Amino acid sequence: MRQFDENDVVDFVVVGTGAGGGPLLARLAETGFSVVGFDAGPYFRPLEDFASDEREQEKLYWTDERIVDGANPLTMGGKNSGKAVGGSTVHFAMVSLRFRPEWFKSRSALGYGADWPLDWKEMWHYYGKAEKALSIAGPVTYPWGPKRPRYPYRAHELNGAAELLARGAEAMGLKWTATPLATVSAPHGQSPPCVYRGFCRFGCSTNAKQSQLVTFIPRALRAGAEIRDLAMVGSIETGPDGRATGVRYHREGRWRFQKARNVVVAGYAVETPRLLLASATDKYPDGLANSSGLVGKNLMTQSNQAVFGTMSSEVRWYKGPPSLAITEHWNYDDRKDFAGGYCWMAQGPLPVEWATIQTSSRGLWGQALRDAMEKYNHQVGLKMVGEMLPNEANRVTLADERDQYGLRVARVTYSWGENDKALIQHALGQMQTSLEAVGASDIFRQEDDTNHLAGTARMGDDPTTSVVNSDCRTWDIPNLWVCDGSIFPTTGGVNPSLTITSIALRTADRIRILAARGEL
Amino acid sequence: MSRLYPDYDVLSKRWTESWNETTRQVIDRRLGVPREPRFFSSTEWRTLNAVCDRIMPQPKDRPPVPLAAYVDQKITDRLLDGYRYAQLPPQGEAWQRGLAALEQSANDAHGCSFHDLPPEWQDMLLRRMQHGELVGDAWGGMPCKLFFDHRVIPDITHAYYAHPTSWNEIGFGGPASPRGYVRMGLDRRDPWEAAEARPEQDIQRTERKKDRVG
Amino acid sequence: MSRDVNAVALSGVALLGLVALAVKPKYVSGRASPRRARLLVSGRTIDPSAAVRSARRMNRAAGVLATAVLADSAVEHYRGSFHNKAMVAPLVTAALSLAVSAHGNADKRPIRHRVRDGVYSTAALTGLVGTCFHIFNISKKPGGFSWQNLFYSAPIGAPAALILSGAVGFLAERVRDTTPGRAPTIGGISAGRAVAAATSVGLLGTVAEAGLLHFRGAYHDPFMYLPVTIPPIAAAFIGNAALGRTDRPRPMTRFLLRLTAFLGFAGAGFHVLGVARNMGGWWNWSQNLLSGPPIPAPPSFTGMALAGVAALDLMKDHPDV
Repeated sequence: MRQFDENDVVDFVVVGTGAGGGPLLARLAETGFSVVGFDAGPYFRPLEDFASDEREQEKLYWTDERIVDGANPLTMGGKNSGKAVGGSTVHFAMVSLRFRPEWFKSRSALGYGADWPLDWKEMWHYYGKAEKALSIAGPVTYPWGPKRPRYPYRAHELNGAAELLARGAEAMGLKWTATPLATVSAPHGQSPPCVYRGFCRFGCSTNAKQSQLVTFIPRALRAGAEIRDLAMVGSIETGPDGRATGVRYHREGRWRFQKARNVVVAGYAVETPRLLLASATDKYPDGLANSSGLVGKNLMTQSNQAVFGTMSSEVRWYKGPPSLAITEHWNYDDRKDFAGGYCWMAQGPLPVEWATIQTSSRGLWGQALRDAMEKYNHQVGLKMVGEMLPNEANRVTLADERDQYGLRVARVTYSWGENDKALIQHALGQMQTSLEAVGASDIFRQEDDTNHLAGTARMGDDPTTSVVNSDCRTWDIPNLWVCDGSIFPTTGGVNPSLTITSIALRTADRIRILAARGEL
Repeated sequence: MSRLYPDYDVLSKRWTESWNETTRQVIDRRLGVPREPRFFSSTEWRTLNAVCDRIMPQPKDRPPVPLAAYVDQKITDRLLDGYRYAQLPPQGEAWQRGLAALEQSANDAHGCSFHDLPPEWQDMLLRRMQHGELVGDAWGGMPCKLFFDHRVIPDITHAYYAHPTSWNEIGFGGPASPRGYVRMGLDRRDPWEAAEARPEQDIQRTERKKDRVG
Repeated sequence: MSRDVNAVALSGVALLGLVALAVKPKYVSGRASPRRARLLVSGRTIDPSAAVRSARRMNRAAGVLATAVLADSAVEHYRGSFHNKAMVAPLVTAALSLAVSAHGNADKRPIRHRVRDGVYSTAALTGLVGTCFHIFNISKKPGGFSWQNLFYSAPIGAPAALILSGAVGFLAERVRDTTPGRAPTIGGISAGRAVAAATSVGLLGTVAEAGLLHFRGAYHDPFMYLPVTIPPIAAAFIGNAALGRTDRPRPMTRFLLRLTAFLGFAGAGFHVLGVARNMGGWWNWSQNLLSGPPIPAPPSFTGMALAGVAALDLMKDHPDV
């Protein structure tokens, strides 16, 4: 790996190497820029480092504490935060969905949220490039939305849990499909096809999963980028002219500084605003890129409630990726009296996670818990990914407490709105109907769960109401960029990773054009 | 022995294609957890063990999973969850306060230590904690329901279900790398998965089923 | 990237062609025996043992097909946990077909054998019933006849290989059972034409099956195009032979059939490599033999191609112009 000297002024520093940082590192390096990527987490080698064990593999998550409050405090860690080179894509469930085109104009087309300053047709092109780069395994035809090119690999076989989603959906007259997943169903380069071991969210030890670790990061390294792992960026320094000069980071026991011509923040929706706010100076007392006051605000998560039941058949849902089938019906059907959409997918929680669900949803403990857990191999479940609306009161701020690096800890404040609750109840009712239709018994609901993050460095076309423009460039500081889920003005009713990666690919192209025009 | 999966032992797959070397080392460390407390005092340890026995009662016919040891290890090794409710102190302090407060409630209600109470009365106190009804100075303002939901329950139940004994109990396939699974459909089982004993079947039939394909 | 793929594929095909040309299997009579030559030279006198020779070739073809079906259905039905007791049927009938094919290959008498006939008919019938079971299996799944179910439910094409094995064996008995001095016929038409037509259809069916499953594998390796390029051409040629003049030498058809036969074994070799390429390779055989590419499946092409060569020999020996 090429290594830069700290006193070299590299063209780009990218803070965070996940769904947004990874593609940007690769494409910028391939374009010819000198690039250094930083990640607070370790650079894992999955084939050697990953065990088949839920507890052990918590090492993939951001386990450093954030303070959570609000009416509906968020569960962090593995629900939405990774800490590794490759970011959350090392532990994500690989669900790779496109936005419904109208969501890019949520306000003008659908009457809620905010508009994106992006054209869906342009995004359609970048979705295709992202799907190709990630070798997405998806169905031959996709039931919803405008036509898309064929997925590079064919969809995976449905497991029992997914088959039950399909039967339930058919009984309700809803379309369903095999989920497009970022894990290969046939050999691809060094990746063997998925062996259906079911530990996807705890790190893929076979490298079938197309996380950043096996896709964009190796490309970045081949093109001459440097990755510095176990490097916590503490602040972005700015010069007298107000422009970013580089990053101050902690690595191998001491603080260091890397000079750069451009700094891209790609730490996802908690670490990105945390870093921008922590980099406050006299010139920028409210933090960097915060003239709008929106850095950290409009934090969104997605509702992740579920309905579970028991079947007389053996389901053994631990086999295969957790979400092999999906229905996006309620993302495209507007006959609802709430705004936004949601999808639901099959589930396959491993024992510790299943214990968490049983205890938190049903209040079980003692012998009652052990008895309920014994039915493990007969369980079936449907879990939603639901849109939550932006609200400035939901936010990331800096607490006074300090972490192991001496940096102020993030406080994450969240409360569901009325629309969020209405959407959740609708979804729970639908999922329950689906389980009843396949003959599940002992049905219960998981009423409190969320996953994914977005919104805290919103993209827009007006500097007073957004933090970055459509190129992911901050309005206030021309050589400071944000390229991750923070820039989402709305979340949509699908998992965000494919959209984040597509925007990163677009941003890389935009940077190339701007550089050619001398506008960097 | 597991009731439902009487012939199943995840550990018997240790040297098969279902386990890799990293997994073997991890499970060895799991099974070799230090049995003596390094964080908790001896009084706290006694209360903690009693709490673990009620939250996850274990059958007497097999070696128990040392749940209190895992709770102690999590705190000693600083294994964090990634978030903390604003009203909860860090996990070590939360446990100390909670155990002391539980002791106080046991003394107030029954005039003796929590660990000396009969199981039904211990359960009653824990239920009251779950419903937010326990009060006392020892809580130091920490809401008892939050402590129950976010420390007592997850720290103890996760320790149980992260242990191979529990995987045998529920018939979980266990470690699976490089060998995953072939037969993924409903009512299909790979030979290396747990075979479920049906009530009308006896043990011998279960054994035959395990050798066949099932 | 795709240009590289094409270049590799074309050079691979060319290489295979050269190899196939160099390999001349003994059973194709390139040299006529002295007694036979005398008979042909003297006009349209028909060699009484030629029909038996062709029948025995077809027994061998049926045997190769039966072996492929036996191994493939054993693995796949084991994977299916024999959840329906009837799933042992193809193993039993294919094994019996293999046995009678060996018997037929050793049998030089010009009369059909009742047991062989019975086994071959049963095999074909079992294949037919199996196809119906498989279609039913697909229709029961959510989504019915979708790509998803065609990929992962019971493969429609697999029992067809058993039909073909039984059919080729059955045709072999009809060919054998020819009055000496008469040209063998099946249902009134020249046996050579009948077998050639069956070969063409059989090859196309096998192509469809391989094509479907290679599509499921996203043609991740350019060699996966081989079974959907060369055998269809061979099928076209042998189909054309079934309809055209039987007194033509047809060297190209022979070459393509021999190439297809070779491809059947090459395919099995590729599938061995494919199993090795899966996670854990051959050490993880308990998974990869079942979920990796099926090693016994490609030799179905070999069985069909052998039947095609036998058809060409029938037409050459008994031209009906």
